[in-house]
Amino acid sequence: MTAPTGTTDNDSPATSGSETAADIAAPPDSPRSRVWRRLFGNPLALLSMIWVFLLVVAWIWPEVLATRDPLKGDPALQDLNLTPSREYWLGTDGLGRDYYSRVIFGAGFAFQSIAIALSIAIGIGVPVGLFSGWKGGRVDRVIMWCNDVLFSLPIVLLAFAVIMILEPSLVNAMIGVGIAMSTRFARLTRAVTLAEKEELYVDAARITGLSSSTILRRYIVPNLLPPLVVQFALISGAIILIGATLSFLGVGANLDDPDWGVMLSRSRTEFRRVGIWQIIPPGGALVFTILAFNLLGDAIRDSIGRDRSSNALTVSKRSSVKPSDRAHREGAALSVRTMDVEFPTQDGKPVQILSGVSLAVQPGETLGIVGESGSGKSMTALSALGLTPAPGQMTRGSVQLDGRDVTSLSEKEWQKIRGKDIGVIFQEPIAVLNPAIKVGRQIMEPLLLHTDMNKKQARERAIELLAEVKVPDPARRMDQYPHEFSGGMAQRVGIAMALACEPKLLIADEPTTALDVTVQGQILDLLMEIQEQRGTSIVIITHDLGVIAEVADRVIVMYAGQGVEGGLADDIFDRPKHPYTKALLESMPSGQHTDRLTVIPGMVPAPSDWPNGCRFAPRCQHATDLCRNEVPELEVIEAGVTIRCHHWQELQSPATEEVGTA
Amino acid sequence: MARYITFRVLATIPLLFAIAVLTFLISVGMESRGSIAIQICGDGATPECIADIENELGLNDPLPTRFVGWLGDVVRGDLGTSLANTDTDVTALIGERIWPTISIVAFSLLIGVTLGMGMGIVSAVRPGGPLDQSLSVIAGTVVAVPGFIIGMLLSWWLAVQWGWFDPTGYVSFGESVGGWLKSIALPGFALALPTVAIVQRQLRSSMANALQSRYVLAARARGVGRATLITRHALPNAMIPTITVIGFRAAAAIGLTVAVELVFGIRGMGELLITSIVRRDVTVLQGGMLVVGLAVALVNIVVDVSYGFLNPKVRLGS
Repeated sequence: MTAPTGTTDNDSPATSGSETAADIAAPPDSPRSRVWRRLFGNPLALLSMIWVFLLVVAWIWPEVLATRDPLKGDPALQDLNLTPSREYWLGTDGLGRDYYSRVIFGAGFAFQSIAIALSIAIGIGVPVGLFSGWKGGRVDRVIMWCNDVLFSLPIVLLAFAVIMILEPSLVNAMIGVGIAMSTRFARLTRAVTLAEKEELYVDAARITGLSSSTILRRYIVPNLLPPLVVQFALISGAIILIGATLSFLGVGANLDDPDWGVMLSRSRTEFRRVGIWQIIPPGGALVFTILAFNLLGDAIRDSIGRDRSSNALTVSKRSSVKPSDRAHREGAALSVRTMDVEFPTQDGKPVQILSGVSLAVQPGETLGIVGESGSGKSMTALSALGLTPAPGQMTRGSVQLDGRDVTSLSEKEWQKIRGKDIGVIFQEPIAVLNPAIKVGRQIMEPLLLHTDMNKKQARERAIELLAEVKVPDPARRMDQYPHEFSGGMAQRVGIAMALACEPKLLIADEPTTALDVTVQGQILDLLMEIQEQRGTSIVIITHDLGVIAEVADRVIVMYAGQGVEGGLADDIFDRPKHPYTKALLESMPSGQHTDRLTVIPGMVPAPSDWPNGCRFAPRCQHATDLCRNEVPELEVIEAGVTIRCHHWQELQSPATEEVGTA
Repeated sequence: MARYITFRVLATIPLLFAIAVLTFLISVGMESRGSIAIQICGDGATPECIADIENELGLNDPLPTRFVGWLGDVVRGDLGTSLANTDTDVTALIGERIWPTISIVAFSLLIGVTLGMGMGIVSAVRPGGPLDQSLSVIAGTVVAVPGFIIGMLLSWWLAVQWGWFDPTGYVSFGESVGGWLKSIALPGFALALPTVAIVQRQLRSSMANALQSRYVLAARARGVGRATLITRHALPNAMIPTITVIGFRAAAAIGLTVAVELVFGIRGMGELLITSIVRRDVTVLQGGMLVVGLAVALVNIVVDVSYGFLNPKVRLGS
């Protein structure tokens, strides 16, 4: 019953690290105030806090709240088992005792149980976990093995053992429960300690000669507190549940005590004869209390954790897309016109993360999209494919695929296009492969979906594909799992999957970023080879101008959710027009300007902080008042050559450049 | 896979040994607080009686000798005789009481895991949707209700009020299959409902993680449809943490069935254990604990093997 408390949230390696759209769109806020606001903004958490507070009052001053003696019944009411009335708010039990007063006094037993079991559990579990995690190696393995043995046994059974050795009583039962629960705290503490031990700042502290106890106190314990607080609440609920079970079984609290479990045990023999009300007052008190602690634990965890209201299945709305006023490029394999993408925020005002993005790629051509992280490159690619992460939404624009308008296709229609007419290659090739499915089956998937091949044919074709992307020993590799592949080999598999149905268009999102430099070159060569053989159009997204220089025919430079400059790759490298493009080129280590390698000051601002005028103005050395106040429009100089800058013409000729910088 | 399963089965031997040590320590702990011999001889214990019993049980031998002797008996299936009722063989007693308990726990797990998985998947498909919200509220509430309270409520309405079931008692499988199912249905459901809630919550959460992963997005970009994304791509990965939780819950259910059996007046392992505590009958309690320990070890093996099926890294790694 306590099992899911620790496990529910510990399994998110897939999502951590890579920033999601929700992260991009979240408004800035201090983490602590956010935690409190989320906690108090949650009505269930608030109700739970009120209930626990009332219980605490009942525990400290039961006489004040109770109306009658919980132990002495009215002999006249013997065996009447009254239901609620003005006099007896919650009725009476078989001995004529007032249920309301007994329930009030029961709070004390509940808190006594928590106090004993929780202090034993933490007193043993946290030091054991700290020691085990800090020592590591064999000591850690032995301790954790013993811990797991105790952990795997039913808590009720461990309590039985302790009760047997000592004698039946609530305190002894709770000693047993405390020992059982200590294994939960030991596991948690060890996990946090192990993780923190690997952190660089802990290494640094160790090198500077800080003692182990100081490091534990200063670095590890503070990181332990948030998960511990969640566990306090959830385990408190579990302790009350088990305590009540043991009392119900007659091996916990004394038979005369006004303990909820004991009251239920008495009702057990009576309810079939006198009615179900007999279990409601103590049962209700028990359930509400467990519920309150569970809800509090969940609420604290949610207020610390990330938002998970959307996932890769949540289809973004495409109903209210405003049309674009720009004409599509003739004959383009993919043409996107003035695309806006917005994300809703908590304060109701949506944040635009793409503003008027346009691009076009001709058959057999390679288009590079370049920009710093946060510029909206990947969002552009996903949105062009109808994969805008929900709750994000395309609000304006038009997308054409090989002359066909695909702007507001349904998910079903998109399914027929994706994988067949468009292949996508992602970054982090290993994360993109499903760890539970054989690589071969994943390559066969698009073939089985989009062609009428049977399994055998698809398998043969998949082996051919692996050979085409130069995976050695392809037949054997088919039956392996992704964890048996290196990053470079996994990316070849990713390319094979994208190529399976011979799409006319490939979209490669940072295909080489996670790979070694030598492997990067091989992957790019492979892409170029494929393009030569098949005449595929490629859109390649990267932050690396080196990649662009190597493969792209045309380039679009993106900044803060907008395209700022577009044109032929050679022109952009030789005669960049936009100050941002120039700055990017200057920050390139092996670029044309080797003599003055510079860094662009600052970074791309978050979408909610984008300036009103030109978005690059705050970082631009040529910015004027015009730039700060007026939004520059995208100027189309000729087909495929664009610029978004108020001053590009003045900056173009050397003479005016001097004036501009003066 | 065969190698992996053999390895997992062998790995439970130390676990069983540790459980045996813990169980043995109960009698050691009890003796440190008063001799078992005095208890057996009763109130008018004569020194001769005590000396006889101590000799008979070997209580004066050094602890390791006693443990080895005891363990040897246990391994041969001899759990000794009841202290409270000296002509009763503990192994035979447990053999009689274990079937109702196994029936209830197995039935509850079958129902609980099936329903819980179904509800978890339904919730994960549209997180935050009306169906997910209502299922989550139900699961969140049910998790907080002890099985024995659910048992009393079910017994009141379905047995006492509507008369669909017998309020108490157990019918063995051999007597009547229908009667057996009917007699374990209510206790089974009482124990299953919290399991449903636990499985639903865990699967919902791990499905949410799996559905936010890059590999699901990538599969969607290959044109994979919704149903396949959920069942083939996300579910196997989401099941890995869920299996672990199901294992924990199975162990917990084995312990908590005691209280549910009591509600339905079923004379299973629960009643046996509780009576042994009240009578201070340590051999019966030890026998019961060993059997429960064995059950937990079996659950562990099942969990490990399913884990191996789902996670190629585990299967191929060891």
